[in-house]
Amino acid sequence: MTNLNFGAAEAGAPVGMVLGTQDVTPVSFWFAVLPGASVQLDDLVAVQTRKPDGSFVNFYGIVDHVRTRHEGVTFDSDVQDVAAGLLPASVSYAARVLVTRVNPENFIPPQPGDGVRHARGDDLRMALSADKMGEKAFPGGLLADGQVLPVNYRFVNGENGGHINISGISGVATKTSYALFLLHSIFRSGVMGTGASAGRALIFNVKGEDLLFLDKRNREVESREAQARAQKGLPDHRYALMGLPVEAFRDVQFLAPPRPGSAGAAIVPHVEQRAEGVTPFLYSLREFCARRMLPYVFVDRDASVNLGFVIGSIEERLYRMAQGADTPYLTVEDWQPDTEQVLDEDVRFDEMGSVRISTFAQLVAYLEYKLLDANDGEGDRKWVGKQSPATLQAFIRRLRGVQKHLTPLVRGDVSAEQAARFRPDPLKPGVQTTVVDIHTLSATAQMFIVGVLLRDLFEHKERVGRQDTVFVVLDELNKYAPRDGDSPIKDVLLDIAERGRSLGIILIGAQQTASEVERRIVSNAAIRVVGRLDLAEAERPEYRFLPQSFRARAGILQPGTMLVSQPDVPNPVLVNYPFPAWATRLDEVDDLQGKKVEEVGEDWLY
Amino acid sequence: MRIRLDPWPVDIEGGQLTLDPFDGTLIDIETPRWAAIPARPIPRQLSTVQVVDGKRRMEGRVFVEDDHGNVGTGGFGAYVVGAVSLCPHGSRAAELLDVRAMRVLAHAPALKLDPTSLSPRDPHSGTLLYHPVPTDSADPMAPLHRLQALMLDAEQTLSHGYASLVPTEETDDREALTSLTLQDGTLRRGGATLGGAVVGYVKTMQTQYLSADRVGLLSELKPGERTPILHMKSETGRSTRFTWYVRLSGAAFYQHPMSGVMRLEMYAPPEPDFLPPTVREVANLSGTLLGRLGSHAHKDPRAPQNLIPTAALEQAMGRSMGSADLVTRRIRAHIAGLQGVA
Repeated sequence: MTNLNFGAAEAGAPVGMVLGTQDVTPVSFWFAVLPGASVQLDDLVAVQTRKPDGSFVNFYGIVDHVRTRHEGVTFDSDVQDVAAGLLPASVSYAARVLVTRVNPENFIPPQPGDGVRHARGDDLRMALSADKMGEKAFPGGLLADGQVLPVNYRFVNGENGGHINISGISGVATKTSYALFLLHSIFRSGVMGTGASAGRALIFNVKGEDLLFLDKRNREVESREAQARAQKGLPDHRYALMGLPVEAFRDVQFLAPPRPGSAGAAIVPHVEQRAEGVTPFLYSLREFCARRMLPYVFVDRDASVNLGFVIGSIEERLYRMAQGADTPYLTVEDWQPDTEQVLDEDVRFDEMGSVRISTFAQLVAYLEYKLLDANDGEGDRKWVGKQSPATLQAFIRRLRGVQKHLTPLVRGDVSAEQAARFRPDPLKPGVQTTVVDIHTLSATAQMFIVGVLLRDLFEHKERVGRQDTVFVVLDELNKYAPRDGDSPIKDVLLDIAERGRSLGIILIGAQQTASEVERRIVSNAAIRVVGRLDLAEAERPEYRFLPQSFRARAGILQPGTMLVSQPDVPNPVLVNYPFPAWATRLDEVDDLQGKKVEEVGEDWLY
Repeated sequence: MRIRLDPWPVDIEGGQLTLDPFDGTLIDIETPRWAAIPARPIPRQLSTVQVVDGKRRMEGRVFVEDDHGNVGTGGFGAYVVGAVSLCPHGSRAAELLDVRAMRVLAHAPALKLDPTSLSPRDPHSGTLLYHPVPTDSADPMAPLHRLQALMLDAEQTLSHGYASLVPTEETDDREALTSLTLQDGTLRRGGATLGGAVVGYVKTMQTQYLSADRVGLLSELKPGERTPILHMKSETGRSTRFTWYVRLSGAAFYQHPMSGVMRLEMYAPPEPDFLPPTVREVANLSGTLLGRLGSHAHKDPRAPQNLIPTAALEQAMGRSMGSADLVTRRIRAHIAGLQGVA
């Protein structure tokens, strides 16, 4: 990435002087702001100090504290006398700097009286370690003064580090928006190289239908960006400053679960707002068995050890049962379902005398028969193993519990062609971004889909290696990988967190509270981002990477503002990022697709 | 038995009230009616009030031998004068003016000395430059007196430089009172020739000028009220002043009833035939002005007489002279350097 704009290269006029009344250390110091200068939080500054041998040491840092106070007065009430013009006092305006870089690495303290400048141009590159990133930097947002924050792609794509973790309160922290902005920046800044489709994204849509319009241009982006530009006094709109196109996502496929209905009904996606371009997804019953999806049905695997054994052995039985044919449904010969069941669930007999299992409910009924009813209540010995009836009953009870939720997703009542067409495939050729809508699903079904998709992805990448980085965007990590407890999907996520970066699977995870997410998942993220946080949450150890002043500020961050911490820069940096160029609601969709009304009208008229 | 507290802390020498008898002459120049006069508002055209003060410090007593073999005593000393400029209507922020320390080496007469420059070891702190100044006598206290005199002269020059002129003839209305200077302490004898609306405010009452039948009024004054203006001639007859008393704040029941009262004085011609209107104007506004500038007991032990700007000025002046310890160390290092020790 070469076109990150760091502004003019000239060294600015001094804005302050290092203070002598507070300790000056190589990692943190205060400076007095000169009259007429203005310094705010998050400003990046540079200081040069001269060693006794005549060589220079440069300090780069970020302002994390600013304050003014009356100097030379003793009492708080003296302010009244000062304001009344009776008491002469000067205002002391000082700022504290957290050093982000010392160059060369001589950790001597700066001297009181050394001039402090705003970091611009090359100073800014040094302060943000952009010189180390070189071509591998992509824009992560704009600093308070309109300069671009470079993010080191080597710490995203798994080369030096991987994964991005975003924390913040729902609604105001705009976690998903920022995750999408980062994706947009990674895909479109050119940091991935010339192959435009070198990267892929798998995005889970967990709330509303927010992400189902990613491929549509946002009609408000122009006005919102013009407004932000005027407000912040920027030289250009924010996309242009970062060198990013104002465009919606390209090559997107939208997957949604089928609308629940009776078996055999037409399979249509279960979405409300978007009429076209959404593909329903489902798995065939045979795939469910052959690809060992049973464990992902059970959310709380650690409920009992014995139950885990049952799941394992049944998974194996189902796998064997599914071999030897490729119909979406399964056929069994050793089961005579009750007539009642037949009528209810539309079981059809074929001429071979075997029974066709074409719904998830039938699969559950079959398992119940094999485990509990066969042999006059003893169960099929090969299936039962040595498990006690109580454990088996618990297993069936749990299956019954999720049966309703999985019936539309795992089915045998489709043709082989349909099963192939509706099989979710985030790696489909020609698709860069896949949005999987799971917000209409129950919690169990969500876990099932996320778990199976990620497992498939992981296994695929284990086979083919890390060409084609895949970014997985998943909100509500605290649900999928809670700190306490154990579940198959947590195992997958842990695998991704710990081994994914070497396989080219990058998790862009988000959660309201990092303290409730498995520690290893959060700690494996190289890039950490914090939006608005609950103040109590901000004091938890998971956020110790934020200096105290940042933690206090995390409680008042506005939507569209994030604190970004990356390995190259030891202190977090506050950034704002532009309004999405893609629609996030139906009414934001730009019908004109960026063209003028007249042009579109002409298309209609002629 | 009746006991009342002197309002000031005991460690301040002399306290606020000494009340020695006065042998000079006092004439009623404003009115023969001895009664309280209420304060008037501050006129709009008075836009600047300067509060002037000075401070001095001996930094080392020395025995000097010059290049011609003459021997005598002397002293390194520093003094500083400065002013706070403020608007009595509060239209702008108060600011410190001209707070700059001067350093002298006061020495016995007949010595020939060059200016002494004390260079610092650390280039961040500046150089101290002591100008040689001969004293009047070889008395060991002479350097201190010389220093004090230098400070008072500087203070006086500063005071008069700022103030509006006081017209001395009844018909003269050339200059309205736009700028008034408050100077800490009694007015210096030589200042009368300089002119200007300079008011000396005397924080302590070491002399009881009023006769016994008139003293009672001082206790009865309400905050802001003043006595009539008197023309005062010292017992030697060499200095004449207009003077009046004004109360800044009420006295607490445990204090002497005269606490909170302050005496003000302005220059007067030797013959008491005429009260310049400017003097009356200053006296009229003095209660209002000083009531505003007076400090509060919880912030300043010498309240209310030690004015708010004065306290700030004293602090600034102390700062400008630098740390006494560091200066002493510097002097020691300098002398060591001269002897080739350091």
